[in-house]
Amino acid sequence: MTTTRSTLRRPLVASLATATLLTAAGCSGADTAATGGKPADAAKLKLSATTAAANGTLDKANWLLEDEPDSLDLDTQGSSAGRVVLTNVCERLYQLQPDMTTKPFLAEKADTPDDKTLVLTVRDGVTFHDGSKLTADDVLWSLKRHADPDMEQADEFGNVKSMKKTGDREITIRFKTPDALFTKALAGDAGIVWNKEQVAAAGKDFGTPGQGDACSGPYELKGWKSGDSITIEAYGKYWGEKPLTRQVVFRWASDSALVNALKTGAADGTYAESPNTASALRTSKGLDQHYGPSTASLVLIPTARGGLKDPRIRRALSLAIDRTGIAKSGYGGLVQPWATPVGSGAWGYEKPEFEVAQKKLAAAAPATPTADDLAEAKELVKEAGAPTDPIVIGTDSSQGRTVVANAVRSALQRIGLKGQIKTVPTAQFEEFYSDPAARADIDVLVGDWYISKADPMGFYDNGLSDSSNNWVGFKDATYDKKVRQALSTLDDAKRAQLAIDVQKRFVDAGVWISVAQVPTALVVSDKLTGPPASQAYLYYPWAAELGLKKG
Amino acid sequence: MLARISRRLAGLLATLFAASFVIFAAVYAAPGDPAVFLAGGRDKLTPERLAQVRSQYHLDEPLVVQYGRWLWDCVHFDLGRSFKYSDQVADLVTARFPTTLQLVAYATVLFAVLGVGAGILAAVKRSTWVDSAVVGGTTLAASVPSFVAAIALVSLFGVQLGWFPVSGSGEGFGGTLHHLTLPALSLALGALAIISRVTRQAMADAAASDHVEAARASGVPERDIIRRHVLRNALGPIITMCGLVMAGMLAGTVVVETAFGISGIGSLLVGAINTHDFPVAQAVLLLMVTGYIVVTTLVDVVHPLLDPRVKEARS
Repeated sequence: MTTTRSTLRRPLVASLATATLLTAAGCSGADTAATGGKPADAAKLKLSATTAAANGTLDKANWLLEDEPDSLDLDTQGSSAGRVVLTNVCERLYQLQPDMTTKPFLAEKADTPDDKTLVLTVRDGVTFHDGSKLTADDVLWSLKRHADPDMEQADEFGNVKSMKKTGDREITIRFKTPDALFTKALAGDAGIVWNKEQVAAAGKDFGTPGQGDACSGPYELKGWKSGDSITIEAYGKYWGEKPLTRQVVFRWASDSALVNALKTGAADGTYAESPNTASALRTSKGLDQHYGPSTASLVLIPTARGGLKDPRIRRALSLAIDRTGIAKSGYGGLVQPWATPVGSGAWGYEKPEFEVAQKKLAAAAPATPTADDLAEAKELVKEAGAPTDPIVIGTDSSQGRTVVANAVRSALQRIGLKGQIKTVPTAQFEEFYSDPAARADIDVLVGDWYISKADPMGFYDNGLSDSSNNWVGFKDATYDKKVRQALSTLDDAKRAQLAIDVQKRFVDAGVWISVAQVPTALVVSDKLTGPPASQAYLYYPWAAELGLKKG
Repeated sequence: MLARISRRLAGLLATLFAASFVIFAAVYAAPGDPAVFLAGGRDKLTPERLAQVRSQYHLDEPLVVQYGRWLWDCVHFDLGRSFKYSDQVADLVTARFPTTLQLVAYATVLFAVLGVGAGILAAVKRSTWVDSAVVGGTTLAASVPSFVAAIALVSLFGVQLGWFPVSGSGEGFGGTLHHLTLPALSLALGALAIISRVTRQAMADAAASDHVEAARASGVPERDIIRRHVLRNALGPIITMCGLVMAGMLAGTVVVETAFGISGIGSLLVGAINTHDFPVAQAVLLLMVTGYIVVTTLVDVVHPLLDPRVKEARS
């Protein structure tokens, strides 16, 4: 219902395939830092949501993406490369803040006269980049476009009964049942407000190179030269604060080309989607790195086949995995051993409570297994009656996943079980997620996941009895009931309590086994500062705050 | 001449038709399901949604029907819309093709000038240390795969010395030249050995012919002999080989484009294959095959113009 994942993966897939190709040579310029520099200490990685505020304005920034955006119409084709650009150009009804909280934004005010009604007051004095006024009609039209079953965000509107204009600047949304995540979705792509006329005029070509942007944000789209670059420029009549950086030129490159461009100063910065990119640049002169909370995580997803069908074996595996080792040798220390399947960026409210709860669960997912952990794991295996068939671990050949797969195999060995790695081409890997037939001969998938909303409840519906992502066939009526209850609890404190309960049940049952959380990595010239370091960079106008350190 | 050209043209079309079917079938048979990429996020990967996507993009029809549909559109100059980018395939290809073409042209100039030069040098100084140095040096250069050359060049001249940019294709003539020097050099290195070897051998053959002996006997200066008689007679095989190597390069820029972060046809193709973007992969492959066929046909047509003996033999 609320998880979105493939968007981050698409560029990653392509780049990792070529990374393997290039690093096979063994002497890539990009890799000298990765192999020469010391890996970061995963346990001490400091995550901060923001960077120090900038003091000076900047005429032009050269920014790198890991891939060319698929489209700049996030309704038809949402990719993170497109979002990194468009978040500076388009605005949403709510806005995700760098600390991962949300607040009303283009909706100036939001009221909930009752639990099943949301009344949005559209902000006055906002103009689109073509100079026309943003109206309630545009808002309603945009919401209806997002809700269209063919569009990416349609699932966010599953609980919506009606959306109507109920005043000059007022939209009323009614729900079938109270929906705690809806306003969070409005801070994501489901809340973008388009200029109806401009979108209609562009027709099928909307979002492709050569088209306008139809938005109201601090920057306007100046040009997209297909295969070359995208340029955005500060919008003169912006209703809010004036951006510090006047122009941003986006280009894209993968792996070593991206690393080299940053190393030589050809580019000013990037949000590195793969921890290995950041790792390769750790010791580079002239660059700063900032790590921030994100919802992303590395996980093991067991299937209902073979030994891992038994929850005791899954718990035993979780106890025996060397998460610190994986972080160090697979990801340059830039991921952190973690006990829940969503990263700390999901804590958009009641952060201290979630933090305590995560730490409590760490006993079942140790960073480095102790002798006691292993003894307990062996006991669990004995209890379950050790399966004799090898446990098949599905992976592709990317560096990180290969390390995880091997770590799983040695963890299995440590508790007296046999593991066998099955590697498929990267192009085929994604099918494991969608096609039960594709994963028919694997017992566990080396996976990764992130959610687009800063709420753990955006994830735990994956454990529902009827969820297509619940591969082990976990069935627990109490779990299902509590998830549904949490999803319709509007009060943050109460929902947090339910979420923590649900999270414990999910982890205890080992529906998925979490390995590490993957922080966001911002790599930027050491002369610049200002943008957020958290996952909010996908939904927050980060370029507007990018500027010179010294005024 | 006209009849010959039209025969060639007919052959070219027949080859293209055959190639197009092979390409279509090969892309179709590649592992992985495009519907997975088309459906969107992982949470949307329900069987119903996938079936709906398959029918929307005609992926559920038999291969031959899909091929017919595609060919029909192609003939009407419609390459379709990319699955990945919502853009027209034709626009995507047109935006990237010039970069690849510039890269290949630059590499061709490099390997032609350096390769032919080295070959001439080796032929003239035959059986001396210069000859051995040229043969040895070019063999070494050819044994380095282009991606290794790319990585070595970029880390030395790009990152360490900072003489050349490490990514992008540059703007304006000077900028493009500056940006494409290293990529073109990595592409050209492998061809050096072949071209210099062919040049050396062709010149040796030409030098051994009777009229050269006769010219030498009548006291024509050696410099003139090499220029007018030897090199001129050797041009046929040299140009043919340069054409073939260049045509091969059109399909071989992928790795170098990736290493240097250049958005050309090669990187477009890799992306398209990784995401099962059928329309783009098919169009790019077809373009590459067409490029190859056109260049080799051109070489074939030009060859007799350069060397009257070929013309006589054929007519």
